[in-house]
Parts: sequence; C-alpha cells; structure tokens
Amino acid sequence: MSKSSIQPERFRMYRSMRKSFLLAGSLLSAPALWAQAPVPSSINDPFVVIMIIIMAVLALLIALLAYVVLGSAEIFRDKQKQEEALAPEGVVPTNGVESVQKKSQGAGPVLSVVALLMLALPVMAQDTEVTTAAVNGYRLSDTAFYTMTSVIFLELVVIGVLLYNLNILLGIRRKKKLAAIAAKPTVSWWDKMNKFKPVEQESDIDLGHDYDGIRELDNRLPPWWLYGFYVCVLFAIVYLWRYHVSHSAPSSLQEYEMAVREAEVKKAAFLAKAANNVDEHSVKLLTAVSDLDAGQKTFVSLCAACHGKAGEGVVGPNLTDGYWLHGGSINDIFKTIKYGVPEKGMKSWKDDFSPVQIAQLASYIHSLAGTNPPNGKAPQGELYQAAGVDTTGDAPATDSATAVK
Amino acid sequence: MIATENMAVPEQRTTAPALPVDKFSYDNTTVKWFAYAVLFWSIVGMLAGLWASISLFYPGINLGLPATTFGRMRPVHTNAVIFAFVGNGIFMGVYYSLQRLCKARMFSDTLSKIHFWGWQLIIVAGALTLWAGFTTGKEYAELEWPIDIAITLVWVLFGINIFGTIIKRRESHLYVAIWFYIATWVTVAMLHIVNSFELPVSILKSYSWYAGVQDALVQWWYGHNAVAFFLTTPYLGLMYYFLPKAANRPVYSYRLSIIHFWALIFIYIWAGPHHLLYTSLPDWAQSLGVVFSVMLIAPSWGGMLNGLFTLRGAWDKVREEPVLKFLVVAITCYGMATFEGPMLSLKNVNAISHFTDWTIAHVHVGALGWNGFLTFGVLYWIIPKMWNTPLYSKKLAGTHFWIGTIGIVLYAIPLYWAGFAQSMMWKNFTEEGQLKFQFLETVTHVIPLYITRSIGGALYIAGAFIMVYNLRKTIKQGSFIANEAAEAAPLAKEVVTHGKQHWHRWIEKRPMQMLVFSLIAVAIGGILEMVPTFLVKSNVPSLSSVKPYTPLELHGRDIYIREGCYTCHSQMVRPFRDEVARYGEYSKAGEFVYDHPFQWGSKRTGPDLARLGGKYPDSWHYNHMLDPQSMSPGSIMPTYGWLLDDKIDTARTAPMIRAMQTLGVPYPAGYDQQANRDLLLQADEIKLSLAGDKIKTNNQQEIIALIAYLQRLGKDIKAMPKEATAGNE
Repeated sequence: MSKSSIQPERFRMYRSMRKSFLLAGSLLSAPALWAQAPVPSSINDPFVVIMIIIMAVLALLIALLAYVVLGSAEIFRDKQKQEEALAPEGVVPTNGVESVQKKSQGAGPVLSVVALLMLALPVMAQDTEVTTAAVNGYRLSDTAFYTMTSVIFLELVVIGVLLYNLNILLGIRRKKKLAAIAAKPTVSWWDKMNKFKPVEQESDIDLGHDYDGIRELDNRLPPWWLYGFYVCVLFAIVYLWRYHVSHSAPSSLQEYEMAVREAEVKKAAFLAKAANNVDEHSVKLLTAVSDLDAGQKTFVSLCAACHGKAGEGVVGPNLTDGYWLHGGSINDIFKTIKYGVPEKGMKSWKDDFSPVQIAQLASYIHSLAGTNPPNGKAPQGELYQAAGVDTTGDAPATDSATAVK
Repeated sequence: MIATENMAVPEQRTTAPALPVDKFSYDNTTVKWFAYAVLFWSIVGMLAGLWASISLFYPGINLGLPATTFGRMRPVHTNAVIFAFVGNGIFMGVYYSLQRLCKARMFSDTLSKIHFWGWQLIIVAGALTLWAGFTTGKEYAELEWPIDIAITLVWVLFGINIFGTIIKRRESHLYVAIWFYIATWVTVAMLHIVNSFELPVSILKSYSWYAGVQDALVQWWYGHNAVAFFLTTPYLGLMYYFLPKAANRPVYSYRLSIIHFWALIFIYIWAGPHHLLYTSLPDWAQSLGVVFSVMLIAPSWGGMLNGLFTLRGAWDKVREEPVLKFLVVAITCYGMATFEGPMLSLKNVNAISHFTDWTIAHVHVGALGWNGFLTFGVLYWIIPKMWNTPLYSKKLAGTHFWIGTIGIVLYAIPLYWAGFAQSMMWKNFTEEGQLKFQFLETVTHVIPLYITRSIGGALYIAGAFIMVYNLRKTIKQGSFIANEAAEAAPLAKEVVTHGKQHWHRWIEKRPMQMLVFSLIAVAIGGILEMVPTFLVKSNVPSLSSVKPYTPLELHGRDIYIREGCYTCHSQMVRPFRDEVARYGEYSKAGEFVYDHPFQWGSKRTGPDLARLGGKYPDSWHYNHMLDPQSMSPGSIMPTYGWLLDDKIDTARTAPMIRAMQTLGVPYPAGYDQQANRDLLLQADEIKLSLAGDKIKTNNQQEIIALIAYLQRLGKDIKAMPKEATAGNE
C-alpha cells in the first residue's frame, strides 16, 4: 500500500478517536444531571448516594481513560510513521492499522448510543419518580434502581471499550513482534472456551470411523457445556430440596395466599385514603352528569348484553318499568350489582368494578325509571315505591310467579 | 470425564483384501415417494395452519361450516404438520440414510410400500375424521381408536423394516444417527400405546381410560414427548447424517454424541409435567417436571454444539450452499427453542407464559425453524442426488431461505409480544383491587398481532411453494436412479480390533441391546411419575359433593369435545389472585375424577370455563352460541348455528353410560336403561327456562345438551362449604 493511501485512513482514525473522547466527556455531565432528577426524598437514601458516587467515579475514570487513549493514539501514530520511514515500500504491515481503525470506528457509535441513552434517562427517571414517590414514600422506586444500575453497567462497558482500544494501541507492536518470532496462530477466547483442537491437527483425534464417508472426531466436551450441565443438576437438587424437603420455598397455594394477603393490605391502604369507601349501606344516589355518563358507559359496554341498550330487558329483566325483583332503592340496586344473583344468571361484579363505579352504574340504572324504551320486556318483581316517587301505575301489581324461573 | 487418550487410536477394521465384495443397490423409490408426500403434506398442513390463524381475527372464514371452525382446523393443522409433514420427513430421511449407514438395501421393499401407503391412508383418514368432528379430545392424540390401531400396526411394520435392515447390515457398528432412530422407534411406540388406552363406544368414538389429573399427566407425558421423540430425536438423527455429508466435515465429537444421546433420552421423558404447572397435578410431580426440564438444557445443546462445531472449517461453504444454510438455521432454532423451553418451565416464567400465545410462538420456533428448515435442507440435498443432477436454481433456494427466515421472525415476534401483553393485562388490578380488564378487552388488544402472525405464516408458505417449484424443475431436468448401485464387503463374523476401544463401541454392535437399554432409559421417568399418581390416594383426594355427569351433560360434553372447545378454552383455574377473581375458586384435583378425557386445555384464546356453571342464564348461552357477538361484542368466537338444528343422538346414551360404568363412574346398576328418561326431564327444564326468555326450541336439540354441560361446570364444588375443600390441595 502506498503512503498516500494510508495517510487519510490514519487521519480518519484519529478523528474518530477524538469523537469518542468528546462523547465520553459529555458523559461526565450526564450523571450529574441525572443525580438531580430524583426527588429529594430518595437522595437521602445512603444507597442512592453510594450509587451516585460510583457513577461519578466511573465517569471520571472514563474521562481519564479517554485522555490516555487519545495520547497513546498519537504515540502510536508517530511510531507508525517512523516505521514506515524505515520500512521499504509495500512491506508495511497494515493489519494492525486496519484493525485499530475498525475498532475505534466501532467505538464511536457505541459511545454515542451510550451518551444518548444517558441523556434520555433523566427524563424517564423524573417521570417515574413523581408517580411512585407518592406510593412508596421514602423507598427507592424500582425504575430508579434499575436505571442507576444500568447506567453503571453502561459506564463499565464504555470503560471496557476504552481499555480494549488502549490495549490495541499499546500492545500492537508487542503482538506483532511475537508473531514475527513464532508465527504461531493466536488462540481466540472462543477456541479456548470450547477447548477446540485446531482444524489442522484434527487428524490426531480422528477415530477412524467411516460411515458412508462420515468420519468422527473425538473432541473434548466443551468445558462450559460440561460445567453448565453440572450446574443444572445442582440446581435440580437444590430446587427439590427447597420445595419438598426443607420447605423453604413456597408451594403454589402458599404463593397464592401470600399474593392475596399482600393485595388486601394494599387495597385497604388505598381505600382508607380514597373516597372510594362506599358499600350498599352507605351508597347515595349520584345525580351529577359526569357520574351518570360514566354509569351509562359501563352499562352499554357490559350490561346491555342482557338488559338491552336502553335497559328494556332482553335475557335479563326490564330496568325501566319501576318493577324490581331485588328491590329498587339505590342501596338495593348497588347490592344486586355488587353480589349478583348467580342462581338467576346475574353475576357478581365486585371484582370487575370499583365501589364508585358500581355507585355510578346503580345511579344510572335508577335514572332509567319511567323512560319507557321500545320493546320493553314485561315487568317482573314488585313495584318499587320510593317516598314521593310514583312511577306509572297500570302494570299488574305483582307477577313474581312468572318472574321466578 | 470419560476421556482416555488411547481412544484416539484409529480402529482397524478387518476387511481382508481378499474378501469378495458384495454388489447391491439402495432403494431410492421409497425415499422418492416419501419426499413427494413431504412436499404435498407440508403445503396442506401449513395452509390449514394459516386458515386456523386467520380465523382468530376473522372467525367468519369458516363460512358457517362446522368442519372449518378453529376448533376443528387446529387439530387438523397440528396433526398434519406433526404426523404428515414431519412424519413423512422422518421416514424419507431414515429410509435414505439408514441404507447407506448400514451398507444394505432396506430389509423388504414390500414392507416399505405397505408402510408408505399405510401411513398416507392414516393421514387421510385422520384429516377426514377430525374435520367430521371425531376426536378423542386429547391434544396431538386426537385421532380415534381405529386410526390409533392402524398407527400402531404401521409403526410395527416400520420397526420390522428398520431392524431387518440393521440386522443384515455390512457395517459392524451403528452410527449415532441410528441410535437416535432406534430410541425414536421404541419410545414413540411406548408413548402412543400408553396414551391411547381408550374404551370404544362406537366405531369412531371412545373415552380415555384415564380421568382428570391422571389423564392430564399421561396426556402431557405423551404430548411433551411427542415433541421429544417425534420432532426432536429422529431429526437429530437426520442432522447427524445430512450435516456432515453436506458439509463434508467429520462429526465434531464422538464422546459428546454418546453423552448427549443417553442424557437426552433419559431426561426428556420426565419433563412432561411442566405443561401442568400450578394446576391440580400434585406439587411433587410438577417439581419433577421443572427440574428435569432445566437439566435438559445441556443434553439438548450437546446436539446443537455437535452440529454447529461440525461446521468448523466449513463456514465458507455455508455462504454458498443452500442446504447448509437451512441446516444452520435449523440447528440454531433448535438451540433457541431448547433453551427457551426450560426457561418456560420455571414456575415464575410459566405463570406468565402459560395459556398465552407465548407457547404458540415457542413451538413454532421449533416447528418452523428446526423441523421445517431441516426438512427443506434434506430435500434440497437428496433430490439432486437421487435424480443425479444439480439443483435447478441455487438462487431460488436462497430466496426460499430468506423468505422462510423472515416468515419465522414475523410469525414469532408478534406472538411473543401478544402472549406477554395479554398475560400482563390478565394480571392487572386497579388500586381499588378490581380486575382492570375484562377478558374480551385483552383479546381485542392482541388482534393486530394475530394479523401480523398470519402474514409471517403466509411468507413461510410462500417460501415452501418456491421450493416445490424449484424441486419440480430439478426433477424434470434429472433422471431418477431407482436402484442406486453400491458395494461393500460383507460383515466379518468376528470383528477384530486393535488397541483399546471406547466402552460404548460394545453396544454399537448390538442393535437389540441398544433397543432394550433405550427402552429402559425412557421407561424410568414415566413409571416413576405415573405409578404414584395412580396408586397413592392422597394425590387425588376425593370430594364428596362431586357427582357424575347426568346423561344430558355427558352428551353436551361430547359436543364440547367434538367442536374442539378445548383448543381455545381451558378448564383449570390456577391458584393466582387474578384467576380466582376472574373465574372463581381455584380448581381442585378431586373435581375431575369423572372427566374421561380431562379438558384442562392449554391455551386461553377465550376465557377459562372451569367455573362457568350458573354464571349466565341458559338463554345467554343459547344466544351466545347462535351469535357470540350479540352477547360479547368484539368476540372472535365463531357461530355454532348447527347446534340449534342438530338433534341429540339418544341411541348413544345407553352405551355411553355403560362405558362410563366400565371406566369406574358410579352410576347405579341398570342406569343405562333409564338414562334417556332423565335426559328428557333435564332437557325439558332447560327448554322451559329458555321459553321464559322468549326462546322457543325443541328439547332434543344439541344446544340443550351443551347448555346443560356448560351450566354444570364447576358447580359441584360450589355446593359444599369452603372448609371442606380446603384440605383438598
């Protein structure tokens, strides 16, 4: 390769190095920015403080390393130049240069992705902090914890990449020398990990079997595979021990009980605070348009299948005629929705709707009285007479006989 | 470790130069027929799958016909791709490779012919009966008893043919591919026979011998090992032959072959209960399923490594050679699926994945990637060989490869997403402690992903069409070698070897011992899991309030099974907070003692039905079957209008009751004679309740029986106080 063609390549390499450095530098500021993001409540947590210190130290380390890499790149370039001056044209080993160039070009994008990620994180962190702080109080939210952990992880990756670059820049001459002395093919980590026998030496382990031209080698078991197998067997023993001998792991049913208990505690805590603590005894008729609209929405999506879109009754009874099988007061309607009447096909909705939603729904249904929609189903149950309200009178007094299936 | 240095000493085979050489020929005709069958059934099976997948977002595709609803198309699809496509693929590969590995023609050309036509007949009969609604209701074992018997017979003929060939072989030792063939043969025979114990009541209807929890255990011992010994071990055998041949490289490691073969067949058989985690199966059996699945990672990966490492030094060929491309992706998919499988067997992962589309995505990585691509690779290899011509177009094969690969990705990723998203929605509670989503909302949420999945599937099929065209052109341009000439020295009476041999060489000369040891290895796990579940009473504690089904309910249950309701609805409430809130009290082992067969299901495209009884009025069910959308707007369930027209076959009642009595269901003696009276009484009640809601119907319609069954589901346990069921865990 001629000098002139090497020169621009080298320049490009240098430039991409500098880019990496700049990006790495910008990382320095990112954690600091981020550190302000959590609400003051979690910054008091010593764990958070330690995490932030680690992040800052790592960021400093990155800056330092980036500086060293930059310097060594310059030295490397000088040395390369000297070498070229000495070496005759065309013999210049270009492998090293090319690989360095590849690596540093690879590092650029990696670093920029990292930087982008870190810039994006504070935004996310802020979001989640605000919402979780209310629930968790002083406890660090999961999102914050994982964000910090991943920032540290990414910083470690960046350090790894920088160290790798440094290694290439400083070590390349040594490696080249070694290669010149022994001409020994380097063993990659992949080969080492699998204990590969080099392809050239495979005749040593050829078993001499020949099945329709298929030969068999006798390579050693890849060590990671073998030890992985042992680990799986160990896992099996520990698993069985914990579940069936020491009983230190919960059975399916214990897990269930734990989940229900935990949910009840959470729910109680929520209901204690929320204005949601309504039941069939305390429920009041809601008349606000927003409540009735919400009730209507629920009614149309789920109740209409049995009671008709306008409450005229299909499979289920007519809800507009003033006759009720299970009572027509707001408390009764609430109760019927909440617990259902399973023997007649009305399911319980207490696991589907919150008390407020049931109150809205009951109020909406209550408001349907006397609307007289078309195709109304014959009245069932008893006429409900609320104090002062008289819904039309000419329907039969009671026909509970036909109502009961 | 088993390593000894002198293993590396090449063994001297005593083929004295003076010995005369046998001249013989390989039978390519049978292989050709099986290859044609593979091509034909691959298209049929995949189109059935595409059809079924489309019915998940456009249920009207069944055109109002019973045969084309999802509930019947899905078994047709699974049976067609497993037993028709992969089954013929196994036979094609075995008939090709076994002759060459044994240096002998197949034992009997007549047997080969009977085997081929017998198997195709089974497939056609299977497809027709499934479309017509004759099914045992056990997944992947849906075929009814006469076909089960035919399968057994043909399988035995296949066994005679391969063992006959092995016995007259001209090669002293059996190559690893043949070990896998032998283990496959013996294990599939065992699985099929044990799981198919059923009591016939008519020419095309039978009831599973087992009930409830026991039926579930046997079924998933079978179901999981159908994957293991029908979709995996024979294909590993094919990989061991076709990969080194196509790459022209020696097999990476003989000792890895030995270890992973024995470990694989021994461990695989235990793993079935991982399909039943958190169900009413006893906890100890579930735990065995978990740990053996985890231990299975290494043996499975042993196969993958031995495949991929065999390609060392030949990766440049992978770029050029379509056969190798397909094989490499197949082996990689095998590795992914066999890592994912054990992860899905962990209880905390399974709690999310089970009953969702995640499972469907998982099996299709295996089916489309491993089985599909490996079959394609083998086809692209043997057809040019047998027709003595190069492949018509490598470029088209490359196109097939890329379209197929993109198809797999487009198929799997949306379903992983759908499964995860839906599961998260199921488990979501509001802060008030209510379920956040109605079941139907979680279904409509994933429908766009179902559409994407169908596009992926369609691409994959498009690739298969390209292959059919390419191979047709190849066949046209070549000339078929029906009898491929070969020669080999006859097997010497005594094989004298020099140097110390690997201990495993002993069994490689003894096919019968190989068979027996394989059978022992695969029998242990099954016996140790099943025998206690059958014999120890505490594993299935009885519940006094659980009573046998009424005759009308039994008819309804048969309809439920016939229509394949279990392909979309489970009947198993797991002890999770969300499931108890959504469906009711979690299921108990004692509830299923009269369920021949069990109907727990494996997928919840629709909601669980274990506690459906009494949830809705009779008229709701009537309207819902007539038009599901009218009762649940947005539902993707097809309409079942024919249930309103077809009549219950009351002539079947008496034999049905007698069969149940034989199976141990405690109906009073002579009840078969009064059963129809009770049936009509119950039918009249339902008729009356429907009339109360302005629905006029006859008391003989099938819909009445189905309503009776659905209204019974989960009711027995509601009749008893909670404390009484508490100990029943």
